[in-house]
Amino acid sequence: MSRPVPVLELDSKDYSDLFPEGEDLQRQIGARRRREGWARIIFLLVLLLTILALATLLYTIINGAFGMTAIVNAVEPEEIVESLGYDPAQVGLADLSQEELVEVLAGAVTNNVGRRLERDQRFFEDRLVFESEATWIEICASPEPPTGCALAPRDQSNILQLVNERVVVPDVVQTWDLVESITDREAIEAEIASADFQERHPGAQPEFRAWLNWQFVTSPQSDVPELAGVRTAILGSLWLMAITVLFAFPVGVAAAIYLEEFAKPNRVNRLIQTNINNLAGVPSIIYGMLGLAILVRALEPLTSGSLFLGEGQGVSENGRTILAAGLTLGLLILPVMIISSQEALRAVPNSLRAAGLALGATKWQTIRKHILPVAMPGILTGSILALARALGETAPLVVVGASTFITVDPTGPFSKFTALPIQIYQWTARPQQEFQNIAAAAILVLLILLLTLNATAVILRNRYSRSKM
Amino acid sequence: MTNETKIEAVLTNPPEVRRNTIPASVDAAVDVVEAAISTEDMNVYYGDFLAVRDVNLDFARNEITALIGPSGCGKSTVLRSLNRMNDLIPGARVEGVVRFHGTNIYEPEVDPVEVRRRIGMVFQKPNPFPKSIYENVSWGAKINGFKGSKSEMEGLVETALRSAALWDEVKDKLGDSGYSLSGGQQQRLCIARAIATNPDIVLMDEPASALDPIATLRIEELMLDLKNEYSIIIVTHNMQQAARVSDHTAFFNVKLSDVGQRTGYLVEFSSTEQLFTAPKEKDTEDYITGRFG
Repeated sequence: MSRPVPVLELDSKDYSDLFPEGEDLQRQIGARRRREGWARIIFLLVLLLTILALATLLYTIINGAFGMTAIVNAVEPEEIVESLGYDPAQVGLADLSQEELVEVLAGAVTNNVGRRLERDQRFFEDRLVFESEATWIEICASPEPPTGCALAPRDQSNILQLVNERVVVPDVVQTWDLVESITDREAIEAEIASADFQERHPGAQPEFRAWLNWQFVTSPQSDVPELAGVRTAILGSLWLMAITVLFAFPVGVAAAIYLEEFAKPNRVNRLIQTNINNLAGVPSIIYGMLGLAILVRALEPLTSGSLFLGEGQGVSENGRTILAAGLTLGLLILPVMIISSQEALRAVPNSLRAAGLALGATKWQTIRKHILPVAMPGILTGSILALARALGETAPLVVVGASTFITVDPTGPFSKFTALPIQIYQWTARPQQEFQNIAAAAILVLLILLLTLNATAVILRNRYSRSKM
Repeated sequence: MTNETKIEAVLTNPPEVRRNTIPASVDAAVDVVEAAISTEDMNVYYGDFLAVRDVNLDFARNEITALIGPSGCGKSTVLRSLNRMNDLIPGARVEGVVRFHGTNIYEPEVDPVEVRRRIGMVFQKPNPFPKSIYENVSWGAKINGFKGSKSEMEGLVETALRSAALWDEVKDKLGDSGYSLSGGQQQRLCIARAIATNPDIVLMDEPASALDPIATLRIEELMLDLKNEYSIIIVTHNMQQAARVSDHTAFFNVKLSDVGQRTGYLVEFSSTEQLFTAPKEKDTEDYITGRFG
């Protein structure tokens, strides 16, 4: 089997002198190198610009979330402690017992306010402070009993907050941002101590305040910025995310599997695909209106929970619930979810599909056992990004009807709710300086929540892809 | 007869539904018993493009049949048509008859899953599942309803791996990923996986083209061992390989048709010895002596 030598008819002309040589070659390479250098510099500058923008953002937020304040207390906590016979140097307000705190509260608020507080939630299991037993039994038997009839009594920290809110009444009269507070601390303290300042705000004391603190994270919403917190908003956001994931993840992955693995490339399926791609670019407020029209209004029995819990038994009277908002956000991220899942499925080599089918497996067996596990890390990455978007969405929640002021924690999918972005939006819209500070703190909470969610998902994904390969 | 009575008649005596499933063994009534699988006037299209035309081949039982020919002559297309793997390619269409156990596998009643369960396939590039070696081999049996106990499954896996001459190399690491093996070992794992479902025919699409010469040699030895139990059809670019392992060889060529399509066709099909020593066709001789292709 000897091969004959192939005879190629070559052009006799020599082209080699048409390539640059020597100095020409150096110059030519130099020019190409310079172009590369310019491209590199431009890319680096763009990157630096991005980093600068992000750094400025972070700087602004952190600058607002911490800093010096001038505080005026209506009653100094030391006075309260002293009036109860303790040494203010050793005992703080937080160390007082429940009985003592209630006593302080009862001595400071009017009977009317006290009765209202007690109707919201009792102070003691065994006795009443402001109401008489007879009235209590009467109002609890009325058609609309106050929440205090059913709720467990307040605990010490709750009453401590009431004392702070109603008796101490700390009022931040002026705030300084973080950078000023660090560089000009003495000047600020001198300003607060000055006669002019003390005349305007008698008893004002300088205090360094971290607006983002544990009390801020664990307190419910309040009218007083010094006491307001984001607990309800955090819980609302977490509930929303749970509903969003539970809806969008299975639906998105299922749709992606159908489109990528089963759908024939005919006109109808191409139309569906095009529409999904377009839906990914629809402004989120449009989804909010969709949610309002369909989920809140048309499906009200479902989203308000009255269908499951009975008429009037739902926590909320209408469809403006966590369920409706979560499903709206789910719809919002569904196209992105589908597209990224499709992308992940497409990245799985076809040889794996062929391997499964050649063994006599059905398509679904092959997908379920071999394609999905390989695509899962990619699907999870897309889902994380989509979820991060949903967590920060404000507009659709405003339209669907998130409550802007709510102090009750959400208890389930049929609760009224607020979410972190809504809370931030609402606080930044207020004119008082202190609300700007707590808005900055809330933004930090949102960022931390976002990073935590992402980190969890990334760890989950890495563990998944390691165990499968 | 009114419509109602007609419907009633149909309901009480339903017409016999002829299920055209493939019999497990060759029916005595089927006269052609030698062929494991055969094609009759098979044309394969991709959309409007005629890829291969007029293929008439009888693949013998317990033999190795090699399909050779220049690039684009449609030999892989023919191979993939034999277990309906071409169904995966959008627009692919087969005309004519592919007879397997007396049944045309392109009849609408035939489920391609059943065809593939009986006609296994090994691909050009090793494609183990990203799972353990054990799962790679056992999965095919599991999904096809293997009724054995756990120890019988272990026995099946061992037998398949022994048949694929891989057992001694992997017996201590069956839990390791199939990807941890070398290319040649992966390909033998794929062969073990294919024969673990106990197929009648094993199709091999250039099974050694991605392997080094030593791994290639092992695969060829393995094929010679396996032909005692299975009918093997192999596509190869390597004429020496075809000459070394196959009993029969089919040579395909490709010709530009009047409408400008490059359509493949069968030139010559005979015993390997005859095809390589005394080819009947001029094209065959030119190809095997290396004058083109």
